[in-house]
Amino acid sequence: MIARPPQITHASAPTLQTARLVLRMPRFADFAHRLAFYSTDRAVWEGGPFPPREAWRIFASEVGQWPLMGFGPFSVDMNGDYVGEVGIYQPEGYPEPELGWFVTEAAEGRGIAAEAAKAVMAWAHLTFGWDHIDNYINPGNTRSVALGLRLGGQIVDARGIDPGDVVVRHDLRGTP
Amino acid sequence: MIDTARLTLRQPEATDWPAYRAYRLSSRSSTGSAMPEGEAWTNFAAFFGHWHLRGFGRFVATLTETGRSIGHFGPFFPEGHPERELTWTLWAPELEGQAYALEAAHAVRDHAFGRLGWTSAVSYIDPANLRSQRLAARLGAVHDRAAANPYGDATQIWRHQPQMTKGHSQGGFAALPPADQPKVIS
Repeated sequence: MIARPPQITHASAPTLQTARLVLRMPRFADFAHRLAFYSTDRAVWEGGPFPPREAWRIFASEVGQWPLMGFGPFSVDMNGDYVGEVGIYQPEGYPEPELGWFVTEAAEGRGIAAEAAKAVMAWAHLTFGWDHIDNYINPGNTRSVALGLRLGGQIVDARGIDPGDVVVRHDLRGTP
Repeated sequence: MIDTARLTLRQPEATDWPAYRAYRLSSRSSTGSAMPEGEAWTNFAAFFGHWHLRGFGRFVATLTETGRSIGHFGPFFPEGHPERELTWTLWAPELEGQAYALEAAHAVRDHAFGRLGWTSAVSYIDPANLRSQRLAARLGAVHDRAAANPYGDATQIWRHQPQMTKGHSQGGFAALPPADQPKVIS
């Protein structure tokens, strides 16, 4: 099992840089992109679509995980433009801190989620010493499962959020 | 942080969760029935996110003498709502009847119109919640039947009066007992 850090060393997201991307603490302007996602059928695997009030509540709760737990979402910028959100999430009921990803519709298909996820996994390993991290994915979300496997993850028999969730486990032990 | 005669209002802390959870899992929850724990947690985490995203948010009021967390109060502005809101919520029934909610609501109202520089604020109140409506009236708010209602239901909209705030030229606040006058200390 991996667990929340006993002490909060990061009450907000540090800035991480990859070849093409900057990962940073979310800010108010990012919400428009999350709202656009949550209001459409693209959000069906997250339990959506959601009305704006609910989208705000979810987004605010994700951002609030930083001061509460010391990890949370990173907003992802490419060339100064918001392209998505990748981070570590553990709302009530999640067995462990989970790796999650989202890219805007316009930014799909360019390897952005994979590049950002690698950076977040490396940061998590370095910061918390975790030896693995999982994705909890609705089995219908084949695109997300494929990304998890492409990143080197393996489907394991472990508990997710909902019965039937595909749990993709990433071994962090070889992470730099 | 805001100090009143008996209360300290501060940003939410992780240690507030058990008291907030107990409130949400009780029939006091604003939905009128217990909220599932996951939903309660999302609401709790959203307090923190709102502070980060908006730069302001709800305070947790504590009894200064004991440190006990008794409720959440103050500025709330979820994206999509037409207006800024002031809210007040006591978390446990034994806290009623001691004017704690009034004391805290005064403090956050003055904070919003003072330090935050708000020029208007409303409170959305369930028509069945007579106690909350009385509190709004005691704060000088008036039932605004023409205001936009983001809930699209029978929710009442009470409009606060900036001129009731201490220091305003109308001086309405002077009529309140000294115990209700807050002091912003940070």
